[in-house]
Amino acid sequence: MKQERVHVIAGNAFAVSDAQGDMEVDPHAPVGLFSFDTRFLSRWVLTLDGQRLHALSRDDLAHFESRFVLVPGTISPYVNVDVSVIRHRSIADSFHERITVLNHSAEPAEFVLRMAIGSDFADTAEIRNPAPRRITTTADSDRGKLRLRYQRERFTRETLVSSTAAGNVDQGGMTFRIRVAANGKWSTDLHVDTVLAGAGGRDLRASLDSHRREMRQGTGADLAGWRDRAPQLVAERASMVSAYERALTDLAVLRYAPLAYSERVPVGGLPWAMALYGRDAMITCLETLPFTPELTPATLRLLALLQGGQLDDYHDEEPGKILVELRYGEAAAFDEQPTALYYGAADTTPLFVILLDEYERWSGDAALVRELRHPARMALDWIDSYGDTCGDGYLRYQRRNTRNGLVNQVWRNSPDAIVDRRGRQPGFPRATCELQGYVYDAKIRGARLAREFWDDPGYADRLEAEAARLRQRFNRDFWLPDREYYALALEPDGTPVDALTSNLGHLLWSGIVEPERGAALAAHLCGPELFNGWGVRTYAAGQRPYNPVGAHLGAVWPADNALIATGLRRYGYDAEAARIAAGIFSVVETLGGSLPEVIAGYPRPVTKYPVQLPAAGRPQSWSSGALLMLLGTILGLRPCGDDLLVNPSLPAGFGRIELLDVPGRWGRADAYGRDRAGRRARLR
Amino acid sequence: MSGSAVEHLERRVAGRHPELPETTGGTLRLDLREGVHTEHWYLTIDHQNVEVARSAEEAELIVRADREVFDRLAAGQLHVAAALLRNDLTVQGNMRLLMTLRRLFPGPPGARHPREAAGGPGGTA
Repeated sequence: MKQERVHVIAGNAFAVSDAQGDMEVDPHAPVGLFSFDTRFLSRWVLTLDGQRLHALSRDDLAHFESRFVLVPGTISPYVNVDVSVIRHRSIADSFHERITVLNHSAEPAEFVLRMAIGSDFADTAEIRNPAPRRITTTADSDRGKLRLRYQRERFTRETLVSSTAAGNVDQGGMTFRIRVAANGKWSTDLHVDTVLAGAGGRDLRASLDSHRREMRQGTGADLAGWRDRAPQLVAERASMVSAYERALTDLAVLRYAPLAYSERVPVGGLPWAMALYGRDAMITCLETLPFTPELTPATLRLLALLQGGQLDDYHDEEPGKILVELRYGEAAAFDEQPTALYYGAADTTPLFVILLDEYERWSGDAALVRELRHPARMALDWIDSYGDTCGDGYLRYQRRNTRNGLVNQVWRNSPDAIVDRRGRQPGFPRATCELQGYVYDAKIRGARLAREFWDDPGYADRLEAEAARLRQRFNRDFWLPDREYYALALEPDGTPVDALTSNLGHLLWSGIVEPERGAALAAHLCGPELFNGWGVRTYAAGQRPYNPVGAHLGAVWPADNALIATGLRRYGYDAEAARIAAGIFSVVETLGGSLPEVIAGYPRPVTKYPVQLPAAGRPQSWSSGALLMLLGTILGLRPCGDDLLVNPSLPAGFGRIELLDVPGRWGRADAYGRDRAGRRARLR
Repeated sequence: MSGSAVEHLERRVAGRHPELPETTGGTLRLDLREGVHTEHWYLTIDHQNVEVARSAEEAELIVRADREVFDRLAAGQLHVAAALLRNDLTVQGNMRLLMTLRRLFPGPPGARHPREAAGGPGGTA
């Protein structure tokens, strides 16, 4: 049976336990305390008089705080429980757990409370099969401290556990022999520090300007400030408001301060992607501009700082390319994975330009556009100099790191994701269709930036001419006239990969689609092969590789759907956009909590309930952001000059929605919308 | 000794760098350790220009490592980010400048342009 998992998160630090609060190694899930891509606790098990405890209740107070109320042994109605234990844990820069033992009897009682403590210092890349490591353990009973240390050459990671109450510390944990007064209580605070050793054995973060200031991560005040800066949603459907609030909280806790930068940026999400992913971060920013625009300048500046500078096969790096993954664990340090700075993505670089332009449209932050001129220009140059590998004017990808680089360097990054209707994989380098849409959009937007901010009208003209030629070429080469949609990809020789996929929505979003073809795409996206009642499947049913639980071969991704709905509205297919928004909102309303990264593609009438894939993360930045983007899309929020345009087209049953204090170049503005049924009612 | 860090600093780092953003600026000090002896190199980055001098003055970022580590960086055999994570080099100050320093050191020898690699083996997981 699948164990229930409980997590607390603060940036890229997180702890995952079972329902009792215990942490034990599980090859199928990252259980333990993690920070900077290293597991610092793999064993954290509490016993009372040698017995494991059972949870009576649990209160997830916030993403960074949980409280477990426990009793010893198996719960039986015939046994009176005269002792209970409360574990109250929180995570910020360090992990903290207060353990309280309550004696409910009228007599004083003695107990032996033990916390078993251990760490395997596994890298997040090897959770399924952690390598054995030699761990040095130092137990110091006098000072109530236990130190676990792993060293490989100069690479050192340490876990320091301390207790406020005196106890006996040994190599495997801490034991407290306690006497609790009648109806009394006893408690201790266990504190766990994680150390990435730098100069002189001190934590390397301590010597960085970016990390020296007091971190406010994971505090109530930090969250409240974030919440106050975001718009307020007032809606007739209470479930919408709670989903909205949850999404904002998810986005707040899924931010971390990287080593190289002081501002916080989004991580991918729990549990597998608690690191910076360039694509996920930029899509999250695009989704959240009307809500939490502060994510974007930090993300753009960091990605500019980490922009590719050299040719490097192992890291799939080229000058101008924008990063796809950044990790700090042992595998990255020793080049066992290319993730110290990995660039294996073809879409991140055009997305960087798109995000910079879109951010300016909302914020009016011309200074940032000027500041980032050079990286944006390098990104645009990369597209033609390094991305167009066949010289036919299409952006393509082929990994040079054949050891452990990503096979598919696009958002559909599973190895079997790019296949035709019969399941055949195309040759490399591959030109997927959405890449061409992004390039088109990046050039159109780059032209605007060049003309309005970089004082370079000649370059603007050139980019516009290139974009126009790309659009013409694309509409000729990718269009499948018999099927009335665009091919998923082109092979190196120009042969189309004829699969029907949700990427059609990305094409609408990018604006590369000829308007007369929009209707056919909208019909496909909302037709029974692609739309399953919750959302648009990545890969349409009725094709041989279709698999409802295949991540990119049939499952439904909220982030994908947010872009699709926005694309549909861009081309005037408002009813179709509303249908998708309604489907995705019903996922979160049915499941409660955060919107998962992906759900299965089964037809909605078959399962009635959104089926989560085992590997799907939750919460995920770009899924939580998707909810906000869908809200912005059905309200029709759009910056126009210095004003906020509102053009609502709400799904039936959504009633009245008010989004108050939308931030932007206008200062703050309010947006109101009402569904059709409501509008008719008002007219009568 | 060809490919040494010092030679790289003098020949390739000093001078104009149009590949760096104009907005990048700052001072770095590289402390090259060799036994008990430490050699200090001072980089001033301003408007795509890098000045290189011998000086032990304070800088916005101080990067310390064995000379051998700097030599491997200069030969493209070691990645700056990996070296930091491995604790082969230590830093103090403004980490952004380390990301700039990364761009002043070469990539690995023998790296290919994507066009060269195109069509070769690269497929299947």
